[in-house]
Amino acid sequence: MTYRSSGVYHQTYAASHAWWQTNFVRAKMALLVLFVATLPLYANLYVISVANIVLYTMLSALGVQLLTGYCGQITLGHAAFIAVGAYVTAMGVLFWGLPYPLAALLGCLLAGLWSVVFGLPSARIKGFYQIMTTMAAQFITVDFIITHYVSRVGGREHYFSLPPGTITIGGWPVDSEVKVYYLAAVLTFVCFAALANLLRTKVGRAWIAIRDNDIAAEAMGVNVVAYKLLAFFAAGVLAGVAGAVWIPSLYFVSPEHFQLSWSVWIVGVILIGGVGSLHGVAFGAIFVTVILELLKLAVIPLAEFYPALTERFLYLKEAAFGLAIVLFLLYEPRGLAYRWQQLKNYFNLWPYAY
Amino acid sequence: MSEPLLTVEDLHLAFGGVRALRGVGLEVRRGEIFSLIGPNGAGKTVLLNCVNGLYPPERGRILFEGRDLDGVKPYRRAALGISRTFQKIELFSGMTVLDNIRLGRHLHLRTGLLTGALYTGPAAREEIAHREFIEREIIDFLEMTHLRDKVVGMLPYGLQKRVELGRALALNPKLLLLDEPMAGLNLEEVEDIARFILDINEEERWRVTCILVEHDMGVVMDISHRVAVLNFGEKIAEGTPEEVQAEPLVHQAYLGEEQGEYTSRR
Ligand SMILES: Nc1ncnc2c1ncn2[C@@H]1O[C@H](COP(=O)(O)OP(=O)(O)OP(=O)(O)O)[C@@H](O)[C@H]1O
Ligand SMILES: [Mg+2]
Repeated sequence: MTYRSSGVYHQTYAASHAWWQTNFVRAKMALLVLFVATLPLYANLYVISVANIVLYTMLSALGVQLLTGYCGQITLGHAAFIAVGAYVTAMGVLFWGLPYPLAALLGCLLAGLWSVVFGLPSARIKGFYQIMTTMAAQFITVDFIITHYVSRVGGREHYFSLPPGTITIGGWPVDSEVKVYYLAAVLTFVCFAALANLLRTKVGRAWIAIRDNDIAAEAMGVNVVAYKLLAFFAAGVLAGVAGAVWIPSLYFVSPEHFQLSWSVWIVGVILIGGVGSLHGVAFGAIFVTVILELLKLAVIPLAEFYPALTERFLYLKEAAFGLAIVLFLLYEPRGLAYRWQQLKNYFNLWPYAY
Repeated sequence: MSEPLLTVEDLHLAFGGVRALRGVGLEVRRGEIFSLIGPNGAGKTVLLNCVNGLYPPERGRILFEGRDLDGVKPYRRAALGISRTFQKIELFSGMTVLDNIRLGRHLHLRTGLLTGALYTGPAAREEIAHREFIEREIIDFLEMTHLRDKVVGMLPYGLQKRVELGRALALNPKLLLLDEPMAGLNLEEVEDIARFILDINEEERWRVTCILVEHDMGVVMDISHRVAVLNFGEKIAEGTPEEVQAEPLVHQAYLGEEQGEYTSRR
């Protein structure tokens, strides 16, 4: 019922290539869009700010999913490319007088190209060594170039301030959480759709083939190095989108926002959500963000008795996150997306258990 | 049937102390089924890997349609028309049968990053046109209609071998390298594959030249136009199946293991 009941047979290949193959699925997607579109009408500001974090996490993790989940390339430096997107967009708006959409486009392109630079070693290396080169991206980009040079552009130290109202789209200022929410929601939808589309065409299949068996892919005519670099480019562009979307909700852009911990965090998101699944990105982002918020809510009353807790919240957060990843790797190695699939299968067959 | 499609000249390749190829030379003519036989470790797979570009030979030349393949990457060789299957199955195990075969069409598809992300008219039309081709020419032909949506990692061995053949064929190759396509299959499956290879070679719409590496002497002698025998990295005989069977050296090196007794399956 949810996916495709056994009674559905396609009359044409076009029909079997369509995304949403039954009215049920179409209705479900319409409901999701309706829910996302109307959320600000009944949710309070706190919920919207959490939703923004969820959307930012999804956009951040999407590129990691592309690289790691679909193309088999490990990355621990994705925050660097988010930073490139954020900084180029901010600089475009603040210093070069570009309208925000154009600055964001430039940010995405440069993030993509910068990502390709750090993808180059992947032509020769895999696995452990790739962790090192992508971490190098993190340190070179954020801790070195941005902290020491970019942050000083315009005589500023450490951060670029972005007072509300700086970011406008065609005269429409993106100056509230709700507006950021709509911007992020639309772009998240666009990015998910774009990646879902790619995955059912030549490019996406080539990526998955490289992940599953690069030698066979090469023998079947896939230029493995070029397609790996294309994956790094696309992942960098997605990171750029995340960065560009994130800055309107910041009062200032600072290297602190793009630390190694964020790179690791979004890898954890796909581990928890499910590697090699778009649903996994969404589930993982929702799960870690909501758990984190619950943790915060739990800490606030406890802090009355143990004031040290608030100071140590950062460690607590990271410890909880680490624990969640370990538990998932042990008990749910295929992530939440797999559980979701199981649940859908169960209801598809219901009331027959087999 | 006479002009050479592939010429291999004086090929040498050693792995440490193991001299896998010691001056092998071959000429494969357009349109034939050319079989390579020889005992385990004779260098058959290594030779295919050299032709396909996975291993660079230390010495010697490989010419495909008169063009020297030296330094040409495997994916470029695929574009020139060389496709293959592997002795140890090398499928994309997380993908469905259909997607594995679709990947074989990679070189015939034009969609790029932007057109693919948008999935607008041309990208969608291309996908559907190739889907029709795959269904008609590959899936129906290899009798896999019931399998198309199965994840290949879950299929039994014999069917995986068949999917590999389908994927290699989807490339529309001029030359197909088949590394033991029948190893480990049951009698019925062996007969199916032998029939497919004959069809691929003979039918007007394919006309693919094949290099077949196979231990099943019955099949080899039945379907090959010519046979070459490798032993310890050297070619010790070549000719029609009858000529090769009459060669005393061959009996010693290889067929001797089976006392020269091999039965035709037909
Ligand atoms: N990558 C490699 N590294 C080291 N040695 C190799 C490699 N590939 C092949 N060899 C060696 O080269 C020799 C020829 O191997 P090859 O795989 O070509 O044999 P074969 O004729 O295909 O045998 P079989 O019938 O068992 O498949 C063997 O001694 C093998 O161990
Ligand atoms: Mg072999």
